[in-house]
Amino acid sequence: MKSKFGQLLLGGCLAVAVALPASAETITVWSRQTDQSISVLKAITDAFTKETGIKVETFNSGIDFEQRLARAAAARQLPDVVINDSSQVGSMRQMGILDPIDRTKLAGWKDVSDIAWQSAQDGQGKYYAVPISAQAFALFVRKDWREKLGLPVPKTWDDMRKLAEAFTHDDPDGNGKADTFGLAIPASTTRGYASWYMSHFLWQAGGGYLKKTKDGFLPILNTPEDAKALSFVRGLICDGLAQPGAVNATTGDTLPTFRSGQTGMLIDGPYDLGQIAKEPGLDKTEVDMLPAGPSGVAALAEGTSAYMLKGTTDKAAVMKFLDFLISPEGQKIGMNVGSDVTPLVRLPVNTTMDVLKIRKDPRWKVYQDTFLNYGHYMPAVPDWTSIRLLTGDGFNAILSQCQSDIPAQLADLNTKVAAELKKQGVLDPSYKE
Amino acid sequence: MTETQPSAHSNGPAPRKRSTRSPALRRLGRGVMPWLYLMPALIVFTWFKFYPMISGFLMSFYEVKFYDPSVWVGLDNYRAILHDSALLVATWHTIIYVIAETIGAAVLAFFLALALEGPARHVRIIRTAIFVPAITSVAIIAELWRILFNSASYGLVNSFIGLFGIPPQGFLTDPSQALWVLILMSIWKSAPYDMVIFLAGLVSINRELYDAADVDGASRLRKIWHVTLPGIVPAISVVVMLSFIRGFRVFTEVYATTGGGPAGSTSTIMTQIYKVGFEQLNYGYAAAVSFLLLLFTVLMTILHTVLKNRFFG
Repeated sequence: MKSKFGQLLLGGCLAVAVALPASAETITVWSRQTDQSISVLKAITDAFTKETGIKVETFNSGIDFEQRLARAAAARQLPDVVINDSSQVGSMRQMGILDPIDRTKLAGWKDVSDIAWQSAQDGQGKYYAVPISAQAFALFVRKDWREKLGLPVPKTWDDMRKLAEAFTHDDPDGNGKADTFGLAIPASTTRGYASWYMSHFLWQAGGGYLKKTKDGFLPILNTPEDAKALSFVRGLICDGLAQPGAVNATTGDTLPTFRSGQTGMLIDGPYDLGQIAKEPGLDKTEVDMLPAGPSGVAALAEGTSAYMLKGTTDKAAVMKFLDFLISPEGQKIGMNVGSDVTPLVRLPVNTTMDVLKIRKDPRWKVYQDTFLNYGHYMPAVPDWTSIRLLTGDGFNAILSQCQSDIPAQLADLNTKVAAELKKQGVLDPSYKE
Repeated sequence: MTETQPSAHSNGPAPRKRSTRSPALRRLGRGVMPWLYLMPALIVFTWFKFYPMISGFLMSFYEVKFYDPSVWVGLDNYRAILHDSALLVATWHTIIYVIAETIGAAVLAFFLALALEGPARHVRIIRTAIFVPAITSVAIIAELWRILFNSASYGLVNSFIGLFGIPPQGFLTDPSQALWVLILMSIWKSAPYDMVIFLAGLVSINRELYDAADVDGASRLRKIWHVTLPGIVPAISVVVMLSFIRGFRVFTEVYATTGGGPAGSTSTIMTQIYKVGFEQLNYGYAAAVSFLLLLFTVLMTILHTVLKNRFFG
């Protein structure tokens, strides 16, 4: 009796949260961005509100964004729009929070480049997002070091390796200590960084992860091309030309090594241009195209997309917002020209715009050229995250064991990726072990 | 307690007023009061512990879909555990970690406690200094160890061993060493904590037993073996149990240093759960593994209590 009374009292005292219904002319936008760069999104939403009268509430987070989204989905408190990496389309679909978008309902859809639209497509040709920004990767090099040592801009793997050796052994900063390294490599298993980083080299070698066939996908990790790529990068790590601890490093670790003058080369996207301009400084760095491997130049292409989430109450307002994001006006604000803050729109997806006319900085041309001519998107499987993690583990194992048998490990990884593709229902039936 | 106090000073008006309350009301008050005191803690625990635990357990029978209704899969998640080779490897790492860390930390802590026993002021200062790692955030310790065990030749530990002619080691970047560096870090962090428990145990030993041993002419080692160790069995038991429970849940130490690499050599049960749950967003499977881990921990605790009661009751 007593304890029951106590329980009743306890239950009665539990606070009940009451969710306030949002006004019809307000939409909520979540963005995977840091606090610093959220000012760019705010500038877009302010302009949008001024033009349409529709209010926009924003929320941003740079860490654990997907986990927050999963929690919001479980609590049925999803935002109307999410701005996130294009490669997250798979994991967001897996969460069951995306509906296909009819892109023809957007006034400006034809102005968006085809290659950008590819990033928002699933294997069957349906669109689940609207691309708003594109980017490729390039090589930051310590120009002052390179010129001091009298070496050329690295154009090939060989050049890159020679430059890395010189940066490591010839004391490019002239402090008399052997405390510099060739390049910064993030090869951690965390979030599959090792896989993400290796992508450039796989394509440069003429290999890759998967081959798209008419019946699905075939894993191609067991090819000699992929083995060549891993052997090249492992050589850099095992010969001490990369920063110490590369096999446990994420990009959170590598950028500081380049900025502080520990490493002399860094493969990075244009989003860090501002930071690198501050330190080590514009005069000391250059942005070069990634070097050519046995099969030529290649680089990972990525993008940012806007996703309309399930359960949105005001689809018309959301579509207006998406249209604004791809309009020349929205794209231009997103490019945030003349500021150090990371832009939301790196390379515009709107083909009516010329990035080099808007951005006077010639370093952007390298990114633009790389994206248009040598960019490769990650394969459009239903759930790329799982394959990225799987290959991340596999590549990390190869890169951290200097004596291991690369072809054997890749063959093993190939089997694992085939099993994952089968689980996702997209393995080409002709696959043989 | 409050009810019994007034009778001690019966002159005041309070007892008379209280005696007018009906016995039923008083009984009710006595029944409700403890709950009222407990309520803040209960609400917090229910909301942040019990509810998530139960909801996690239920989740382990579903393929969690977040937005759409989750799909009931029965024991499929548990069956999948049997074929998960990565989890098997992680479990093996965790077992090595737990055993090595428990023994290492307990032995070190025991000798630290013997050395630092007593009320002298300088001993108190050293004890406090030694306790610092136990109260420092794991993330900070992890960062310190990454710096100490930097694999470059100029890394602190590498410079030190270089004095003895040992070539630079990979440490956290070498798949055959990484787990042991993490175990060492963990011993360094846990030993002071264990030491405090041992110190409390040492205080409870009857000094006369040492005197008696002295009269019998026992050596120092024999005194430790026949007097000290049997006297601190309860403390050893607490240390071992806490260390086991802590060890099986090891996560931050690994996540903040190696993330489970290199080559998966430091993956543990918890880092696997994190990866599957929060990176692949497969909540159902992660919940199933978590539940088994909980069950295992509870069983270990029960087993430990039973053994302790039987042999040292």
